[in-house]
Amino acid sequence: MAADPYTTLGVKKDATQDDIQKAYRRLAKRLHPDLNPGNKTAEDKFKEVTAAYDLLGDPDKRARFDSGEIDAQGSERPRQQQYYRDFADQGGWSAYTNSSGFSDFGEFAGSEDILSEIFGRQGRAGRRRRGQDVRYHLDLSFLDAINGGKQSIILPDGATLEVNIPPGTRDGQVLRLKGKGRPGVGDGPPGDALIEISVLPHPYFTRKGDDIYLDLPISLKQAVLGAKVKVPTPSGVVTAAVPKWSNTGRVLRLKGRGAPRPDGSKGDEYVKLMLMLPQKPDPALEAFVAQWQPVADIPRQSMGV
Amino acid sequence: MEIQEFIGRSHLDTPTLNAWVEAEWLVPVVSRKRSFFSEADLARARLIQDLKMDFGVNDEGVAIILHLLDQLYGLRCLVRDIHAMEAPDRTSDSG
Repeated sequence: MAADPYTTLGVKKDATQDDIQKAYRRLAKRLHPDLNPGNKTAEDKFKEVTAAYDLLGDPDKRARFDSGEIDAQGSERPRQQQYYRDFADQGGWSAYTNSSGFSDFGEFAGSEDILSEIFGRQGRAGRRRRGQDVRYHLDLSFLDAINGGKQSIILPDGATLEVNIPPGTRDGQVLRLKGKGRPGVGDGPPGDALIEISVLPHPYFTRKGDDIYLDLPISLKQAVLGAKVKVPTPSGVVTAAVPKWSNTGRVLRLKGRGAPRPDGSKGDEYVKLMLMLPQKPDPALEAFVAQWQPVADIPRQSMGV
Repeated sequence: MEIQEFIGRSHLDTPTLNAWVEAEWLVPVVSRKRSFFSEADLARARLIQDLKMDFGVNDEGVAIILHLLDQLYGLRCLVRDIHAMEAPDRTSDSG
């Protein structure tokens, strides 16, 4: 931002703090991108105005700027986040979208009433036109996405749409339901329903590609002596062998226990062992370790300490 | 994202966030009694912060602005739908 902040806000050098605030608010309501979604140039101007206000709105910073101690540069507020309009204006209906601004036109968006009125006026009534695609959003639990199954979406008009979730569905995947969109105009075919999937996080599984990752706590005794332990996988509990003398960080691979792929094969589950001391202090263990004479053991040797 | 990450990234405190969710200014997805927020929720929280802190809007004003904005975005969505239906037709007319 190189321009003079006083010019940017349109105030005189001797303006009061009150005048500056008023000038900022007057500009900001015209320029805030979320309040002016149709104005694509608003964002850059809004940034400029906000930066100017960050400088002049603070009497200390303003005094330092006036005395030449700081310049207009570097006063810009870091703003990496996207604006709300970037999401609200993507064209889909969200939890927030509100149709009461036009519900008196007929039923919901895309209803025949409003469309036929608009197209009819232009002499287009009775044409054959494919119905529109409709976009929906569906949040799936981690396991529902991996294991697949039926889910239903409640549509804005109260109807229910059954969705078949294929096993192994990924976050961000879009499922297309043919013919489940808006009805066609005239004898045109209906559009499709496009369902964008978000997969919610799981308390202990994470997924990378088709593989599943899990941190598995094991007891001291299991780590030292080895054991058969039960391990959760997305498709149920399996038993795995923890080898004798297994340290924290050791990874066991459970082949074919990951997410299903479209070709019928499956990813793997990677189990990272985490050695856990007993939850409650154990006097017997403390007594044993106190009298234990280990051979020289420096686990931090590679760090040089 | 879960509530802790949302608080961290939005710089809101827990009572404020709870009040906003209570007022339905923010509508997180609730799954198994846990709330999950989207990037859109984060951007919306940022907008509410702008309204309250920079623009001096009080709580009643924020509620009205959000209600009108949600209608505005709903209308834009509808207009875009109508536009999309009309566009293929125009090309077939000219051909």
